[in-house]
Order: sequence, then structure tokens, then C-alpha cells
Amino acid sequence: MISKTPNFTGWRAVILAEEDGNTEKLRRQLSLLGIASLLQWLPLPANDLPELIIVDADRGWDELLPWPERRPARPVAALLGSEAPGRIAWAIGCGAGSIIPKPVAASTVYPALVLAVSAHERRLEEEGRIAKLEERLRLRPIVFAAINRLKAERQLDDEQAYAILRDCAMQRRMLIEQLAALFIGGSEGLREVG
Amino acid sequence: MQDTVKIGILYSTTGPYGAMGRDARNGAEFAFHEYATAGRTRVQPVFFDPHADLSAYVEGARSLIRDSGCRHIVGTITSAARKEVLPLVEKHDGLLWYMCPYEGFEANENVIYIGGCPNQHLIPLFEHLIPRYGARPYLVGANYVWGWEMNRLARELIANAGGTVLGERYLPLEETAVERIIADIAEKRPSFVLNNLIGPSSYAFLEAMHALGQRDPAFLPENCPVASCDLQECELDEVADGAAIGQLCAASYFDTLDSLENRAFKARLGEFKPELGRVSSIFASAYTAVSICIAAIEGSGTDDPSSVRGDVLSRTWPGLFGDMAIDPATNHAALPFLLGRINAERGFDVIASRPPLAADPYLTGTSARREPWLRVVP
Repeated sequence: MISKTPNFTGWRAVILAEEDGNTEKLRRQLSLLGIASLLQWLPLPANDLPELIIVDADRGWDELLPWPERRPARPVAALLGSEAPGRIAWAIGCGAGSIIPKPVAASTVYPALVLAVSAHERRLEEEGRIAKLEERLRLRPIVFAAINRLKAERQLDDEQAYAILRDCAMQRRMLIEQLAALFIGGSEGLREVG
Repeated sequence: MQDTVKIGILYSTTGPYGAMGRDARNGAEFAFHEYATAGRTRVQPVFFDPHADLSAYVEGARSLIRDSGCRHIVGTITSAARKEVLPLVEKHDGLLWYMCPYEGFEANENVIYIGGCPNQHLIPLFEHLIPRYGARPYLVGANYVWGWEMNRLARELIANAGGTVLGERYLPLEETAVERIIADIAEKRPSFVLNNLIGPSSYAFLEAMHALGQRDPAFLPENCPVASCDLQECELDEVADGAAIGQLCAASYFDTLDSLENRAFKARLGEFKPELGRVSSIFASAYTAVSICIAAIEGSGTDDPSSVRGDVLSRTWPGLFGDMAIDPATNHAALPFLLGRINAERGFDVIASRPPLAADPYLTGTSARREPWLRVVP
């Protein structure tokens, strides 16, 4: 549930579209939300990104957005009139978190921005979490090696060896992977247990 | 001889918010009466009553637009009804004149908003209540968008004030079984109650809070007031005698408002229909919406909505709400804030006021928050 009222005051948005009645309506709505908008029908330079991007997905082409497919550097909302799967796929590909249907109705703009920003934030959080998990996964062989060494040195079974590692990691407030690396490296003797 | 121009009047005079609909319709009628009294006949009303049936609002709007040729519709009380009618009004590029206090988060070019949004009612109300009674309120509301969104914003305001919301409960429209909520309030002992219930639920709640105050003085209005943003004079007749005395309501107009305009208005109203008695902000804003619509049609010489809108936005409209201006960016009226306390005559005594505040329907620049939510991490 949204507890804070979403507020876009002072944000900049680039609308990647050609000027028409839709962009006019869109820009009116953006301006009353406190967003300064710029309209362009040229690729977006990667070195000066606004807080928000709205792209015409009916006519957009790949080079419009300066990031790899599905890896948007900013929240994206897609202007879309077409129902063609290829155009919807293009909108997904450029990282759109929401759609502003054409013809633009005033009431669709604010919800689309809130959704796009929220989807973008969630994606950034998930990417961060996945990166951490991948790092831990990469260190799994070290945990495996540490368990094997503990088993051999102290005549333990798998579960007992793992429990020692886990408990020591908890006591030292570190990840089990980090502790295992220290143990294998020889700088951590795990002396108080076993 | 110019063609007759029709304005659609779309109010439900029955159902849970029927009292408001009747008051709004009366306000519209009074505006047309004054127009006719001035010897003018070009602009005429067409009334449609959807009888609180949401789908009938669309039928009504369609009939007003297609069959009667209305390009302006004054009407709807609830946001649900406004949202039903709006796509049709947009499609025909008409103008909807909406004049009720609502929860904000809308600014449509095809609507002129003459009711208030939260920065004009709820936020100043809380700025009044929190320093006086504390920041530990209990929130009640009707189980639809008005109640939900008003209470959501109330939570945000309370969080910003470092307070705690002690409870939040909802009742379906027309539900009058308030005992469990009252028991919860009696147990939690809030510093005040925000009442976003509407119609019969609200009346039952006020009566039950009165009974609670009789049992325990901590819940008398002077200690734990029940405050709302939508209670109208026309509704106070439906509350048991004396039960609502001392409770609070925010509005942009009260019948008792002591201003030159209101005294003259009340005098004219007394000559029109003395039986109307006390009128509400709903009456005043429907009257104002119709009066401005007529004046702008006459002023621009056409009922073309974009010409009328241009005329409306280009000048100020002196009247019951002061020297009212409508913001061209949002199409919302600047409105005064009045805090009324219910008196023994089933009216409101104005106990606090602020000069007209510009509407901020998306709360882009108010003190509602300390820091922006939704900050993008690069």
C-alpha cells in the first residue's frame, strides 16, 4: 500500500515522440504534476538522463533509448495505441513499467507514472538482491570445502559441520560464505566450537 | 433571436447521498430562478435524476448530451459517478461542472472543479486539530474511494506530525451498525475522530458518539471531536436532536457565513423559497457553478465549451466563496477554508477560517510530506 503520496515535483521528463495532440495533452498533465518535460524525436543521450522517460511505443525504434534490452536506467512509460504484439514487445524491451494509452486521457497519466516509477524501483531492488545472491552462490564451493575439512578434522557428519559454520557465522555477524573463506584461508580456526 | 442553450443538471435526489443531491438541485434551480428574474431566457436547464444508480448516470449524461444537446453538465456528487460520466463528456468535448468536495488526484480539461480537494479541506483541518487535540486520531470512512483516500492521506499527515493512527474502520454505504467501531474507539481513546462516512452511516455514527460522550466525558466533542469534510447543513436534520452539537466540519461555505455576499444571498433566497431554510456548501457551490456557467455562456456568446472555459479562467468570480479564481493549470477553484462547529440550531458556527487557497489536486507543493517518496536511485 502506498503510504506516501507520490510526488514528482521538480522532476524532468523526456517524451520521445513527435508532437501531436497526445503529446500536448500529456505535457499539460505533466506540468501540473510539477514535471518539466522536453519533447524530442531523437535518440536519448546516455550522459544526461532525466528522471523519467515516456516513449512512443507505436513508432519507436531501438536506438531511441541508450540501454540494453530490458535494462532501463530510468523509469519508462510507453505511449501506446497499437495492440500489435510486436509493439507491446518493443515497449517491454525498452523497459516500460506502464502504458499510457492513446488517445491520451488526462486520468491515465499520473497512475502510469506512479506505476512506472514503482516498477523501476522494484527492479533495482531485485537486481541488487540477485547480485548478492549470485555472489553467495559463487562462494558455495568454499562452503562445501569448509564443511568437508571440518568433517575430516573433527569426525563430524554433514549436518554437524554445517551447524558449526552457521553458528559461528551468526556469532561473528558475517555471511556463512565469508566465514568459510576465512576458515579455508587459515585465518579462522573456529576454535570455540566442536 | 439567439438559439436556446441547454445546461444539463445531473443529481440524484434519492439514495444514501440524496439529501446532498436535493440541496444541489435546489441550488441549481435558484441560479436559474435568478437568471429568469433578470429577464433572461436563453439558457435553460434540463434536469435528469439517476436515483443513485451508477449506470443511470451514464444514461443520463448521454441523454443530456445527445437528446437535449447539452454541452455543459453540472452534476454528480460522488467521485464514482463523476468517473462514470467523464469519458462521455470528454468524447463529446463537453464541460462537466463538478462542485463537491472530493479526494483530489484529478485535473481534467473537460471539468471545472468548484468543490475543494484535500489541500483545501483535510490538510487545513488537520493543521487545526493536531495542535489542539493531539496526533492520535481514529479514522472512519465509507467503504469506497472517498473514505479510503481521505484516510490514506490522513495517515500520511499523522505520520509527518509524528503521531499514530489508533484505528481505521470502514462501513458500506447505508450501513448503520456502528457499535463495534464505537466500542473500539471507547477502548483506544483517540485524540479526535476523522469521519469520512457518508449519509445514514455518518448520522448513526454521530448519534452513537454522542451516546458515548454521555457515558464518558472523555468523548464529548470538546475533548474528542468528530471532524469531517463533507457534512452538510441539509444532513443535520437527519441526525437525532442535539446529537451532533459541538462536532466539527470543514467546508468553503456555511449558511451562517457572515459576509456581505451571503447576507444578500440569504435575503434573495428567502424571497425565492423561504421553506428551504438553511442551505449548505453543496447548495452554494451548485448555485455558483450554474451561475458561472450561465454567465460565461452569455459572456462568450456561445456554449462552445472551450470558449466558455476560456471565459471562466480569464476572470475572477466574486460571490459566496470570495473573489473566486479558477486555476487554468488545474481547472480547480481557489476556495476559502472554514471550520464549522455544529450548533443547537442544526447549523454551523464558523470557529476558524482561512482566505482562499489555490487547489493542489495532486499535492505537488503542499506540506503534506517532508520528503518526496519515489526517489529514483541512479
